[in-house]
Amino acid sequence: MEKIKQNPIVKKIGINRIVLCGVLVLMYAIFSMLSDKFVGVQRIMSALNYAYFLGFLSLGVTFVIATGGIDFSIGPVMFCSALISGYCLTSYGVPLAASLLISVLVGFLFGVFNGYFVAYWTVPPFIISMASMNIAKGLASVFTKTQSVSWPQSADANGWYRSFVKAGNFPVGLVILLVFAVICSIVLNQTKAGRYILSLGSNKEAVRLSGVNVKKWEMLAYIICGILVGIAAIFYVAAYTTVQPGYGDTYNNEAIAGCVMGGTSMAGGLASISGTIIGVFIIALLQEGILALGFSKDYQLIITGIIVIVAVYADVVTRRRKN
Amino acid sequence: MGDVILTMKDIDKSFPGVHALDHVNFEVKRGEVHALMGENGAGKSTLMKVLTGIYTKDSGSITFEGKEVEFHNTREAQDAGIVIVHQELNMLGHLTVAQNIFIGREFKKGIRIDDKKMNEEAAKLFEKLHIDIDPAETMSNLTVGKQQMCEIAKAISHEAKVIIFDEPSAALTEAEIEELFKIIRDLRQQQLGIVYISHRMDEIKVITDRVTVMRDGGYVGTLITDECTKDDIINMMVGRVIYEDPKTESAVPKDAPVVLKVEHLNAGKMVQDVSFELRKGEILGFSGLMGAGRTETARAIFGADPKTSGDIYIDGKKVEINNPQDAVKCGIGYLSEDRKRFGIVVQKSVAENSTMASMENFVKGLFINKSKENKVAQEYVDSLATKTPGVDQLVVNLSGGNQQKVVIAKWLIRNCDILIFDEPTRGIDVGAKNEIYKLMNRLAEEGKSIIMISSEMTEILRMSDRIIVMCEGRKTGEIDISEASQEIIMNMATREI
Repeated sequence: MEKIKQNPIVKKIGINRIVLCGVLVLMYAIFSMLSDKFVGVQRIMSALNYAYFLGFLSLGVTFVIATGGIDFSIGPVMFCSALISGYCLTSYGVPLAASLLISVLVGFLFGVFNGYFVAYWTVPPFIISMASMNIAKGLASVFTKTQSVSWPQSADANGWYRSFVKAGNFPVGLVILLVFAVICSIVLNQTKAGRYILSLGSNKEAVRLSGVNVKKWEMLAYIICGILVGIAAIFYVAAYTTVQPGYGDTYNNEAIAGCVMGGTSMAGGLASISGTIIGVFIIALLQEGILALGFSKDYQLIITGIIVIVAVYADVVTRRRKN
Repeated sequence: MGDVILTMKDIDKSFPGVHALDHVNFEVKRGEVHALMGENGAGKSTLMKVLTGIYTKDSGSITFEGKEVEFHNTREAQDAGIVIVHQELNMLGHLTVAQNIFIGREFKKGIRIDDKKMNEEAAKLFEKLHIDIDPAETMSNLTVGKQQMCEIAKAISHEAKVIIFDEPSAALTEAEIEELFKIIRDLRQQQLGIVYISHRMDEIKVITDRVTVMRDGGYVGTLITDECTKDDIINMMVGRVIYEDPKTESAVPKDAPVVLKVEHLNAGKMVQDVSFELRKGEILGFSGLMGAGRTETARAIFGADPKTSGDIYIDGKKVEINNPQDAVKCGIGYLSEDRKRFGIVVQKSVAENSTMASMENFVKGLFINKSKENKVAQEYVDSLATKTPGVDQLVVNLSGGNQQKVVIAKWLIRNCDILIFDEPTRGIDVGAKNEIYKLMNRLAEEGKSIIMISSEMTEILRMSDRIIVMCEGRKTGEIDISEASQEIIMNMATREI
């Protein structure tokens, strides 16, 4: 085992991510064996649909968790974005392109809101994101008069946005998600913003005493998260078209699960974008597998709950061992 | 001294990649104070952790009261009668003294906790130790020194036969240390075996009977304290002679320009009307007892804590410093007394920590220029002689002295001309200490101006060109090194007490 860990290639990719990839393949194999319905392109495309919006949520929350914070508003904010922009599109006749921008804008504003209170007012992220979760749900309901919103179908005049997810059988969404993942990884690892976000997650006071404006960079992490949540909303409607007000909280857990499973530490300071992406694929495959095996979504809730606990526990144990 | 109560023989312990203990021998007699010395990383703590069951030894034997023992956790060691008094106190501030002492084994009356009985028992304990503390007092109201005495009382209450003191004096004032020694002598009288870990050479001479020295995980030797000199011990620890003479006169010309002037600085209770000047190329020592307000003064100047009033001039120009960003822009760097909390980002590499304060010089377009960053960090690793396998090493893996050098590099790379060193050698071993001293002298010669806060008198007398003494938030003295002596400074530091 030690030998494998010291192998330069393994070291570079990280043992954690290799294990996760193994889990992904194993899960696919098990689901395929248990259910003959599972094999085939259809299932994979369906799992991918789930992975796209969840992937953007997870990428976003990775930045927040890197600062040592947490955001429980991402799911409901995504729905709020999709509902407000969709309502603008369908009821106010706002052009599609503008509606998509509104979606990102709503996410951005929630990011500013969360980030401002966390960074400048030092409200605990847990509290402020719980509050904005409720605000997002309420706001969406008020705006849409508690009606669900149906975005246009592929065949409709305004249906082109759906090709963000797939064109024919080509998974466009996968390409876009991976491109964004690469961008996020560059931001996190090769820019000043990423350096400060990770550093302040590890030791905020030391970074402040280095003469760095920590408040600005901490707020930025929430803003990046908000923007990615706004984009997640677009991929949600592109995959499923219909959104209902009052939901979205279950995606918080799944996005955070993907993130921590991938090796991002809940204590802050350590984050892995590639890990997050693999984590998201595992969650998406899991949800698809559970449905294919004929279980209800409730089982998925239980399993993701357990995944979060196991992943966080593993993080705590490795941390302890290092000390 | 009585018979041997504890023997550790041929103790061997390896961690992946490190041979932490290499056949170490150690023994303690009844009624003896036995010093365990060595540089940081020499293996003292590891040896004590093996003894108290935190680590399992690979080989060797531990004999306690004639029987071979092996403890699996501190609880087992405690029950057998071996107790550690840690450097960091493990007290709960909101509980009373008695509640702290009997935590985990409270006296009960039915299901209720019997505070009265606990107070009585604690009082008996204090009486035995000749300590004057009210058992019903809330812990957080006590001074650090008193808290430590409670910790000792707690150890005694476990029927301890061997007590290990891990750097007990690090946070104590001179008077408190005296009191601590009184208690230790008392315990010696009562035939307990005492292990005393400390970096302070003076204390070793005063309080211990024998000294065992470790180096690089190995056992170097055991001396009888009365028969050896300070230099003998230091030579065994580092294998080289260290010069420790005080400075006799200031190296700064009288007409050197004033780079920093602080006037009537006020910040809370701990900084009251502090004024002073710092000259170019000067090392200005800040002396005083624990809690004199020196760190608070430094933090107020640096903008780390808000100040209520006062003016700061840099090179004759008045500046507004409201936060550390302003201070860094003015060319001030602050090296904190607590580097783990305020100095380094442990999960980041040497290079990343080194450039933390001057990122903008390492950004090309949107991206960090990592090759430039590594190159500059490497230059400073070389020039400060930082011991690290490479600049990509995480600082958490470095020893205290080398972490300190990384923080110094951070400010040098930022090109700060005014450096505030707050207890720059705390928790650093003798060898590394000497290197930090040399480095500070070199920086001063190069024209940097240094404020050095230190609680060690020898350090103040050895390094400073001029000394400012503080007491209870006020400046109580200012003295040139040529006129300074330990007595004069101590007199100023205790003026108002």
